[in-house]
Amino acid sequence: MSATMSGRRRLTWLAGLQPGSIAHGWGATGLAFGASAASVALMGVAAWLLSRAAEHPPVLYLQVAAVGVRFFGISRGVLRYVERLVGHSLALRMQSALRLETYRRLANTTLLGTRRGDLLTRVIADVEAVQDLVVRVVVPAVSASLVIVATTALLGVFSPGSAAVLLISAAVAGGLVPWWAQRASLRADADAVPTRGRLASAVDELSRTAPDLVAYGAASIHLGRMAAIDDELRLGEARSAWIRGLATGAQVLAAGVAVLAALLIGGPQVASGSLPPVMLAVLVLTPLALHEVLSTLTLAAQTATRAHSALDRVQEVVLAEPIGSGDLPASPDPPARPRVSVRDASIGWPGGPTLLDDLTLEVGPGEAVAITGPSGVGKTTLAATILGLIPAQSGIVEVTGRIGYLAQDAHIFATSLAENVKIGNKDASAADVVDALTRAGLSLDPARVVGELGATLSGGEARRVALARLLVGQYQVFVLDEPTEHLDADTAAALLDDIWATASSTPMLVLTHDPEVIRRCHRVVRLTAD
Amino acid sequence: MSAAPMAPARASRRGPIDPRLLQRARATRGYLILGVLVGCATAGLTIVQAWALAHALGDIFETQQLGSLAWAVPLLAAVFGAKGLLAWWNQWLAHRTAAAVKSTLRRDIMAARLARPIDSSVSSASLITLITQGLDALDGYFSKYLPQLMLALTVPAIITVAILIADPTSALIVVVTLPLIPIFMALVGWTTEARMRKRWRIQTRLANHFADLVLGLPTLQVFGRATAQAEGLRRSEAAHRRETMGTLRISFLSAMVLELLATLSVAIVAVAMGFRVVFYEVDLITAFFVLILAPEAYLPVRQVGVHYHDAADGVAAAEAAFAVIDPPVDPDAAPASNTPDGAMTAEPGPSERALLSVRDLEHTYPGAASPALQQVSFEVTAGHIVALTGPSGGGKTTLLNALIGFLKPTSGGIWVEGRPLHGLDQDAWRAGIAYVGQHPGMITGTVGDNVRLGDPEAGEAAVRSALDRAGGPELSPWQRVGDGGEGLSAGERRRVAVARALLRIDTGRARLLLLDEPTAGLDAAAEATLLGSLRGSGTTAVVVSHRPAVLAAADRVIEVGR
Repeated sequence: MSATMSGRRRLTWLAGLQPGSIAHGWGATGLAFGASAASVALMGVAAWLLSRAAEHPPVLYLQVAAVGVRFFGISRGVLRYVERLVGHSLALRMQSALRLETYRRLANTTLLGTRRGDLLTRVIADVEAVQDLVVRVVVPAVSASLVIVATTALLGVFSPGSAAVLLISAAVAGGLVPWWAQRASLRADADAVPTRGRLASAVDELSRTAPDLVAYGAASIHLGRMAAIDDELRLGEARSAWIRGLATGAQVLAAGVAVLAALLIGGPQVASGSLPPVMLAVLVLTPLALHEVLSTLTLAAQTATRAHSALDRVQEVVLAEPIGSGDLPASPDPPARPRVSVRDASIGWPGGPTLLDDLTLEVGPGEAVAITGPSGVGKTTLAATILGLIPAQSGIVEVTGRIGYLAQDAHIFATSLAENVKIGNKDASAADVVDALTRAGLSLDPARVVGELGATLSGGEARRVALARLLVGQYQVFVLDEPTEHLDADTAAALLDDIWATASSTPMLVLTHDPEVIRRCHRVVRLTAD
Repeated sequence: MSAAPMAPARASRRGPIDPRLLQRARATRGYLILGVLVGCATAGLTIVQAWALAHALGDIFETQQLGSLAWAVPLLAAVFGAKGLLAWWNQWLAHRTAAAVKSTLRRDIMAARLARPIDSSVSSASLITLITQGLDALDGYFSKYLPQLMLALTVPAIITVAILIADPTSALIVVVTLPLIPIFMALVGWTTEARMRKRWRIQTRLANHFADLVLGLPTLQVFGRATAQAEGLRRSEAAHRRETMGTLRISFLSAMVLELLATLSVAIVAVAMGFRVVFYEVDLITAFFVLILAPEAYLPVRQVGVHYHDAADGVAAAEAAFAVIDPPVDPDAAPASNTPDGAMTAEPGPSERALLSVRDLEHTYPGAASPALQQVSFEVTAGHIVALTGPSGGGKTTLLNALIGFLKPTSGGIWVEGRPLHGLDQDAWRAGIAYVGQHPGMITGTVGDNVRLGDPEAGEAAVRSALDRAGGPELSPWQRVGDGGEGLSAGERRRVAVARALLRIDTGRARLLLLDEPTAGLDAAAEATLLGSLRGSGTTAVVVSHRPAVLAAADRVIEVGR
């Protein structure tokens, strides 16, 4: 399935994720139709009421219309309230369903070392676009179109000509112009993309080199360069400003055209006797109330573009072919001699180029082997292969014993420290957790809430939590990925001391470029790009 | 941005327009004035439109003659045309203003970032996001919310006056109900605020669960726990939905009050008018005039509510920008009292012979529990090399940053030849400093471009020689340097930064060399070369280092943080 799919196919796909959502959606649309129709009907019936009143009939004849006007006056607000609740309830259900689907799909594809950190961050925000799609695009657009059609049909009974003009002007102002204006502004946005990219680079450079630029008095020159790019962007935005208000102006004109047409067609009808005089005001004033309905369509068109591009990005991730096993397969009971054995293996991502050829590597108990090499040579890919997350392209990769991975950027979840440690072993007892924390050199309260909700851990502490996960799970083979990256020298040395002390008999593979780490290893394997 | 449907009442905190937007972004002020004019013109055109329509309809109804069409149709066409153009022009203006305001804020943000060179509280990535996408939320704020707000301030009042002149009885209904809208909305908001806020907190916690799990997926996968967490996610999503719906039931109430009052008022005006027409109390033309105008009085107020999300997003974007431009002052932070200048204290004044005198210098970062740099005092004689040593986190880098003026120490002071540092022109002071930071920044370009930061006029030979003396004879001045120093190793970056500093010394303007761990990535030979060139330059130097070779070469070694 292609990542950019048509609006209709996307809705079918999304609706498939949440059973009952189509009926739910029609419910919300029906309520929205009722609310919008009420304000149009209020104007129409009120116009009839005044005209009929001018014929001075007995008051009794006006009662029904008076009740109708009051009814529409109340029902609009009430229906809108219920509609918003029903619509948002659906939107939240769809969002939950899409989040679950996204999570399940992502969980089934190997993410280690794919450098997709920014992609994950983006997906989290993009998934929320499904709410906009429901509440601010589909429900309002469908219901507004229905109101226009229904109004046209009713007025068409009395004056087909003016009803036809109304339908055409509404279609132009509510459909064609917003669509065209949206496309034109998208083009303008696309033209600005390279400038935005240059601006981002300039901001990045200024931010990263601020101390040096200020120290050497070069800040104003570089700020000036950024300002020049900024000028380009501002002028470009100003040039395209005229497109963006086009739809708003068109709405006003469309309502005007419909009103004038009703006057020019309905007036002669009254004069010739083919239209009852009381209907003239209805014909002329009802289009005025459609103005609001038209503005709904413009807003929907603007939101649709944003929501669709966000959902395109989500689908790109969700519908991608899964790579590798996702979850690390559970390993069997502990064997006597844990070891890693790689023989004549070719390493690379499934379907990707081979990064390492003819690799042979043996790591036994009590051995620490450093794997070094320039970045991009395939160190993390090798780790993913040895862990069993992806298969070797050829050759043999054998691991006996439970294999655990100490990531340089292990995620700390927003929960208690104990729960974070139990990621390594969900059945661990409280005593096991305390023991693992102590052995990992952390003297923090296991009940302490950490991560985004609680106290932030220092880089050294976070890596010790990751170590505690390995210890509590009684992992027998360690793969360490840049264990000292981003740590200062003293913290790094203390951490290495503790890892080497707790894992003295554990086979360890250490991916690193830090000379201090290499010094502690028994052997070094230098990887080179072919 | 698309989280907006659930946005809490953020906009209400500061009112609809952030006063800092008016101060900082002058374009906003001009736009608001024009907005008022556009509002008045729109109201005027609407009144003419209602008048012409009412007369045309009334005439045709009563006379069954088409005479009035002759003047009404051209007039109405002109009015609708003018209203359409006005709406378009207003949007054009709004987008241009948004572009100008965004540009002003972008420049202010980066100027503020450079004014606090060592402030790392805002990461480079979040600055990029703020500047390229975050500020775009101001587009919606300026093009949708503000125009409606200006219309809401002008149109209802003018239209109400028109109704008042035509029919005081109907005007009474409008005058009574229109002000009720903000009052009731405030009342609903006020009575439910505490409950909303509590629910909002729960909701945020639940909402973050998804983000936390997705970001932690690589970690969960290596422990074989990713798939198992889907069930937990499903439960937390269900709880999230229940909580959110509970909040929405309350928060949509204020919108319902608005809708109800606005539409019901129009209905009441219409019905009352109908019965008065029957009893000859009002003529039909006046009745039509009022019926057409009444909804127009409420429309802008209702539209402001429609664009609430754009307002909340825009205000949030402006706040994010101002948080960088004028960072909030930490009330717990010690006052920056960098003022003991000898005259105020009983202590003997600092020596005028020493190039630098550091007295009782101490610094605590805002929000930190304990000082990063504890009381340190020393003097630096011109021409000497002073080494700073001590444990990691002892404040050596903080001290260096105070010397170059990147931070104001919380207590104590620094004197330059007897004059307080904080009283000197900072740019002039820095012009006499050659500086190598802990993580030297590299600009995009070539190695030569980076070295020439030390002296933009330096020739080819000077750059070559500086690189050689910095222990980087293998570095070519023509070598490309990518974004963030890409293409150079950490050690190479350090050598380029040292060469930069040496080049500045060569110009003869540098009186002081500040080096933070200059030899950390260097081998023994390169280190020896560098120390030799340091000695040879005869410049005063303050060097942070652990290396024995550096400490041995220094005239004085000062322990920091012991």
